Amino acid sequence: MENTATKPSAVLQIRTVLSKFQSVLGLAAVFLVASVICVRGDKNLFLQPNNLANVVRSISENGIIAIGMTLVILIGGIDLSVGALVGLTATAAADLMVIKGLPMVPTLLIVLAIAIAFGVFNGVISTKLGVQSFIVTLAAMSIARGLARFWSGGIGIPIAYGDAPGMAPPAFSVFGDRLYGVPVPAICFLIITLIFSVLLKYTKFGRHVYAIGGNETSAYLCGVNVDGVKILVFTLCGLLAGFAGVIHAAQLSQGSPNDGTGYELNAIAAVAIGGASMAGGKGVVIGTVMGALILGILDNMLGLKNIDNNMQLIVKGLIIVVAVVLQREKKR
Amino acid sequence: MDKNTILTMQGIVKSFGVVRAVTNGHLELKKGEVHALVGANGAGKSTLINILSGSLRPDAGIISYNGESTVIPSPLRARALGIGKIHQELQLVPELSVGENLFLGREPRTKLGFVHYDKLFADTAAIMASFDLKVSPKTKVKELRVGEQQLVEIAKATSLNARIVIMDEPTSALSKHETKKLFDVVRHLKSDGVSVIYITHRMEEVFEITDRITVMRDGAYIATVETAVTTREDLVRMMVGHDLAKTSTPAQTSAGAEILRVEDMCLTFPPFYKKANLQHISFSLHSGEVLGIAGLMGAGRTELFECLFGLHARAMSGQIRIDGKQVSLRSPQDAIRHKIALLTEDRKGQGLVLSRSIGENISLPILKALSSWIFVNMKRERPLWRRQMENMQIKAPSFHTLAGHLSGGNQQKVVIGRWLLTDPRILLLDEPTRGIDVGAKEEVYQIISTLSKAGKGILVVSSELPELLDICDRILTFCEGRLTGEFARSEANQEVLLNAATLSTSFH
Repeated sequence: MENTATKPSAVLQIRTVLSKFQSVLGLAAVFLVASVICVRGDKNLFLQPNNLANVVRSISENGIIAIGMTLVILIGGIDLSVGALVGLTATAAADLMVIKGLPMVPTLLIVLAIAIAFGVFNGVISTKLGVQSFIVTLAAMSIARGLARFWSGGIGIPIAYGDAPGMAPPAFSVFGDRLYGVPVPAICFLIITLIFSVLLKYTKFGRHVYAIGGNETSAYLCGVNVDGVKILVFTLCGLLAGFAGVIHAAQLSQGSPNDGTGYELNAIAAVAIGGASMAGGKGVVIGTVMGALILGILDNMLGLKNIDNNMQLIVKGLIIVVAVVLQREKKR
Repeated sequence: MDKNTILTMQGIVKSFGVVRAVTNGHLELKKGEVHALVGANGAGKSTLINILSGSLRPDAGIISYNGESTVIPSPLRARALGIGKIHQELQLVPELSVGENLFLGREPRTKLGFVHYDKLFADTAAIMASFDLKVSPKTKVKELRVGEQQLVEIAKATSLNARIVIMDEPTSALSKHETKKLFDVVRHLKSDGVSVIYITHRMEEVFEITDRITVMRDGAYIATVETAVTTREDLVRMMVGHDLAKTSTPAQTSAGAEILRVEDMCLTFPPFYKKANLQHISFSLHSGEVLGIAGLMGAGRTELFECLFGLHARAMSGQIRIDGKQVSLRSPQDAIRHKIALLTEDRKGQGLVLSRSIGENISLPILKALSSWIFVNMKRERPLWRRQMENMQIKAPSFHTLAGHLSGGNQQKVVIGRWLLTDPRILLLDEPTRGIDVGAKEEVYQIISTLSKAGKGILVVSSELPELLDICDRILTFCEGRLTGEFARSEANQEVLLNAATLSTSFH
């Protein structure tokens, strides 16, 4: 071994560990603050099991979208259409079940097929026609939003459960339900987290994603099907956004074409807080999950403290800046 | 301290994570001297120079400039001190004109605060004239040849009233004529009292242009010597730490069956495209043969390799035959399937994923074979990583080390190690020893010799004619996209090759 490669100093090791688990530490800090300050009388509002379940449920939607966004950002792209896709798929699900009277399974298949179609559109136009993903997905966002409003005549469709006409199949309510006290969306989020962590770490696809994000030319010259991998990434991102739309409809018991506005920004924020590089090639699913949790707890905490909605936005913006500044590459 | 000394760097230390790039950097520079900084890859030259030019901050050490201790926290500060650097990789803005590039960030202004373009272009023309560069100041940089771009870069650095000019491998993209011009500029700078730090792997340049030489090895200072009283052998011994075995001439291998045949290959790009066209190229390559390709910049050597690797299927016409059968190479995947491997000229830009580990880089082209269903079989890839680290003698703490943390020579070994795992039959090596130190060069020659004995067909592009003459069985010469000559090893020498590489008529 070369003599120039020596053991790192203790300080350096600590710093490496700190930066490696930065998002975990950030989550712990936010959690601690929330559990200390959200106390009314002798009751800890934040640590109430019911409240915690609420937090987990509310972050699941953003978390699922953000995992798809992580993939897109890893290949150096961006997907602005996910928020509009949530609106479109939620509306479509409500319309198909309530107005058209379809059972749950065909409804899910159609809705997810729509989401996949948008993902394929984003992927194909950005790779085969060489349009930047920012522009393609901006267009897709507009198309999806327009389609949702066109479909429902611009109004939300309420979902009531029952067997009579004009009612949704009761089975669909499972996505808004709890299993042994745990919200079903949170269970879905956990499963999706596991699947995509494994996908990125242990599969060809994952290696290809990181290689493309790190050096696309090199990946291409090594025989990686760059366009194919990119299209698959956008497709998975669309699929996850569509699935989030289904959960959204079940949780709110309605499908509104105006829902999901700005969700793409929340997802990007979660990815950024999770430590991924916007230039691509660097980032992990678990980081994004941490990012989504931090954002969710923050929202919940500010809500419990009755802080003005607009003030919440300002605080959230500042937190994003601080988080990203803290984990930027150390200047050499 | 000597009054003639403009700069001293002492006890410089710099680490990147766990890799210690410089352990004891030392440099003393006199006014008006040309000072060579030499050392093998990974010796720490670039790191030391990046510290001097403000791109990197040292962990420890003292820099004194004009007798005063200084810190150089940024490239801007270095520029203000009068330290100019010409980068190995060009740092010009391709879409801007020559003049706009020269005065970027310090444009002359009119009274109203707008850019004074008349003055800018007039000043540029004057500077260009002193460099004997015949291009209009209004030409966009992207339309210049690489050699011309390099001269613009040098003009930019020297026009900043620099007292110290750092040149990092300045001639790697220059033709002989342009190199001569560069040396005139260096002598001119010297007579103006400017000090030049000159980094190169080309020994003949060290002896032609420099006054003193500082040698580094493994991140540490070894010695500073007067060029006039030093021999090439002394220098090499200091660089590698021991005597180098005499360059072994590979045994003449008897060429086997024809493995690759190119017939009437033409490559046509739109006008002003930055790549060279090819016109009616025909040749063949035999198994066990090392076939060299000589030519100047823009001769189409790299483009030929790109065609053979499936990169220009649309712009290309003509036939490629492997084992006598015509093949269609429309993508790198096709090429890899036909057992072709390409070692690109630009390791960092095209070769490696710098943000990933050595191991992942090695696996990249063979991931499919290493996987069961969608999962990468790590039990199978780890031993391969270990084997290639040993076979290629890659110096790194482990195969988890990021490719971006390696020195140029080690990066090249990673790329070679990667492609050998694809079990290639035809290897396309584009400048395989560019920017690599003498020791690593020897290792690369050994690898080439071993591969040809194993019956591979090898095409080598190199700008260094002695290298081609040393390792090739046969050499083709290219000039401006045409095949202008073919020479057996016995009938080739530098003069003959250079002559053919500047011929204006095709050879058939």
